[in-house]
Amino acid sequence: MAQTHKQKRLSAWSTPVLLILILLVFTLLVTMLGDKSLARMAAQTMIRVTFVVGLWVFVGNSGVVSFGHAGYMAIGAYCSAWLTLKPQMKGLFLPDLWPFLANAEWHVLPAAVVSGLLAAFVALVSGAAILRLTGIAASIATFAFLAIVYTVYSSWEGVTGATSSVVGLARYADQWVTFGWASVTVLAAAWYASSASGLALRASREDEVAASASGINMYRHRLISLVVSAFFTGVAGALFGHSLGVLNPSSFYLGVTFITLAMLVVGGIGSLTGAVTGVLVLSIMIESLVRMERGVEFGETTLALPTGAQEILIGVIMILVLILRPAGLTGGRELRLRIGGR
Amino acid sequence: MSKLGVYDVAVRYGKVPALTDVTLTIEEGERLFISGPNGAGKSSLLKAICGAVATSHGRIEVDGDLLTGRTPEAIARLGLTMVPEGRDIFGTLTVEENLRVGTGIRRDKSAVENDIEEVYENFAILGERRHANAGALSGGQQQMLAIGRGLMTNPKLMLVDEPSLGLAPNIVDQVYETLVNLQKDRGLTLIIVEQSSARAARVGGRMVLLRGGSVVGDGDAKKFAESDVLNEAYFGTDKAEASS
Amino acid sequence: MNAIPQLFFDAMSLGGIYAMAALGIALIFGVMNLVNFAHGEYIAFCVFALIVPSTDAVAVMFLGKAPAIVLIPILLSIGAAVAVASEFFVFRHMRNATPVAMMISSFALGFVIQNSLLAVYGSRPKAISLWPELNTPVSIVGASVPLLQIIVILTTLAVVVTLALLLKKTKIGLEMRAAAENFTMARLLGVKANVVITGAFALSGALAAAVAMIMATQTGVADIRMGGQIMLVAFIATVIGGLGSLPGAVAAGFLIGAASVILQGFLPLEARPFRDAFLYTLVIVSLLLRPQGLFASNSAKPRV
Repeated sequence: MAQTHKQKRLSAWSTPVLLILILLVFTLLVTMLGDKSLARMAAQTMIRVTFVVGLWVFVGNSGVVSFGHAGYMAIGAYCSAWLTLKPQMKGLFLPDLWPFLANAEWHVLPAAVVSGLLAAFVALVSGAAILRLTGIAASIATFAFLAIVYTVYSSWEGVTGATSSVVGLARYADQWVTFGWASVTVLAAAWYASSASGLALRASREDEVAASASGINMYRHRLISLVVSAFFTGVAGALFGHSLGVLNPSSFYLGVTFITLAMLVVGGIGSLTGAVTGVLVLSIMIESLVRMERGVEFGETTLALPTGAQEILIGVIMILVLILRPAGLTGGRELRLRIGGR
Repeated sequence: MSKLGVYDVAVRYGKVPALTDVTLTIEEGERLFISGPNGAGKSSLLKAICGAVATSHGRIEVDGDLLTGRTPEAIARLGLTMVPEGRDIFGTLTVEENLRVGTGIRRDKSAVENDIEEVYENFAILGERRHANAGALSGGQQQMLAIGRGLMTNPKLMLVDEPSLGLAPNIVDQVYETLVNLQKDRGLTLIIVEQSSARAARVGGRMVLLRGGSVVGDGDAKKFAESDVLNEAYFGTDKAEASS
Repeated sequence: MNAIPQLFFDAMSLGGIYAMAALGIALIFGVMNLVNFAHGEYIAFCVFALIVPSTDAVAVMFLGKAPAIVLIPILLSIGAAVAVASEFFVFRHMRNATPVAMMISSFALGFVIQNSLLAVYGSRPKAISLWPELNTPVSIVGASVPLLQIIVILTTLAVVVTLALLLKKTKIGLEMRAAAENFTMARLLGVKANVVITGAFALSGALAAAVAMIMATQTGVADIRMGGQIMLVAFIATVIGGLGSLPGAVAAGFLIGAASVILQGFLPLEARPFRDAFLYTLVIVSLLLRPQGLFASNSAKPRV
């Protein structure tokens, strides 16, 4: 017997639930088994889940590869710093902030939400222009956007501290706070993907001509998905700052762009499950490689990988996946329970 | 041994089948028209023969040499050339450069200059505009150029996909006249995709009728034009057999 | 004052570097629709090939010690070899992949090259001295211009002319142009795909090496990050020029060189640090106005 419509819907909703359970198990395991540094790694991983799943909302649904999301991350990160840092600190290090921001001393949660909203707003404005382009031209324009954000944030001395780091952020983003945001992001991504807008967008990704002939306004849905997507990458930026306690524009440039795209590609751009899988697989791999770079003791001798070995290996893996399994580890499939039917 | 043999060939684009179990052979020096409604698989058959699309099943042989697994450039070296639908001339190259692109595979380099002059004799307008950008030529001139370009590879077997597409009737006559003369002079084997059976009948030759990716008729083009097999092939549901 | 000729030489020499780098990217895109993000790292690789591998702050010249007559051809070959190798190991296996997948893998390849350099040479920028005598100023039309600027401008012209001759007059050049316009049709006429693609990568790599020599001489620094910066600008030049159009890439390279020199010269002082932001905004604007590129004809089919 085939599944009924209702059963199909339930089955679709099992995807985010299962993914969140996996994230929960991961966080629990790491917290119980590991030391402080592993707990930090768990928090970093959950931030990456928030970022990559946020990125997936746009890339996975629209099929347009974005190099610009690290820019939205930077916007979120600095916004949260502006809102939550102690006014004395801001007066000292960021003297040119507008009075409203200079005196702000917000609670971290509304600050994170507003940071996401600011990123979403910038996405609305930048996307309104960039998304008029299609295909490779659109991707290139996102690259230019990233470069713009990076240039502005690493030069605006009195507002962002330019290339010197902003310090003193409250380090509240531990593995549980970040797990909470990662879960919210996964739910929102699943919700968006099954919404009318998400469905229309994926239809247009398969066949632009047919979709526009059937009256789908591709531009509008792309813009909607970019705004939703930027909100969560902005939040990921805020969490990032409050996990390390330090902000620097170079944290939000080519390095993070590369690693997050790698996660998306390795996991599989086609599915939400792919986005989460990619983050978990590569994060575990990165952590082990980082430990090996620090050196592993074999009796008397310490063997260490040279600096950069981690990135080299990740890059090689990414290329191999692109060649051997272009649809990623998950092959574009979702993890889901079959409810009813057979 | 046939010049070209196509045996049980199938082609699919993703899950969509374009050709299913097509078998036909053509002898050296023959002229074969391939006809059939849109979507019958005419272009797919030509593309499969010249290696532009992969076959999912079956064998294609030229002079007994198996083509399966060969790249288009390797197939071109076996003396097979394609004049594609829409002509696909290189618009940013000059007329003469277009003619030279395919000469890289020839052993008889010394004959190249001679052959270019011969093309210019056959197609006077190409000679006049030899240094013009090919993109500036008219449709009919581009068709001439595409044929000339194919000839420059010194082929034994020439595939021509819908030479009449988008051309005025008097130009089409001219194109066919040239093709027939070339065939006589060079002993070419010709395969031509042609929608119009009347046209094929006038030029004369054998005709194979495709429908839904299969061969549904094979015989003299004139007989097709007289019978209503064609109508059935275009509109009917039954398999039509031509009495040849 | 001689500000105008000075600006002119600055713009021409900067534009020349951009134009050469953009040509390298446009060549590959034209032939196989690959947006090659690794191109900047070919440049960095060639710069580091000049010095002895070590993580010390002070660079010891290795290849860089060789006389120019030996150094130039060797470095050009190194550039070509790196590019050809990357095609052989990565892109050859992606012939049926989408342009987006190829673009991402070139991004990954760039990262691999960059981090390999990092592992061997360390992350600190190193002072190098390649042909330092070329930085001595000479006086031309009242402007004091480093000899190198003149050489850069002449080199660019020479490279562009050589490339044009190569493409126009040789068999492989003809095949490359045909393949760039319609790859399938070229193959149907017997043009060997692998030969053309390998040829394009070799040329592209050699162009990267030429840029590397100029940048090494001009800046006197070997920096892991230098590839990324030049790549971004060159890339933008390629897009503005109309992806795949070689004359467009050259023209856009000079245009961007001029635009950044002019912005640098005329922006108010407090806005100067943001020069690149203005530049990239101009890029987005130009993409929006003409997605097919500033220098592509309107009738040209969109390649992007």
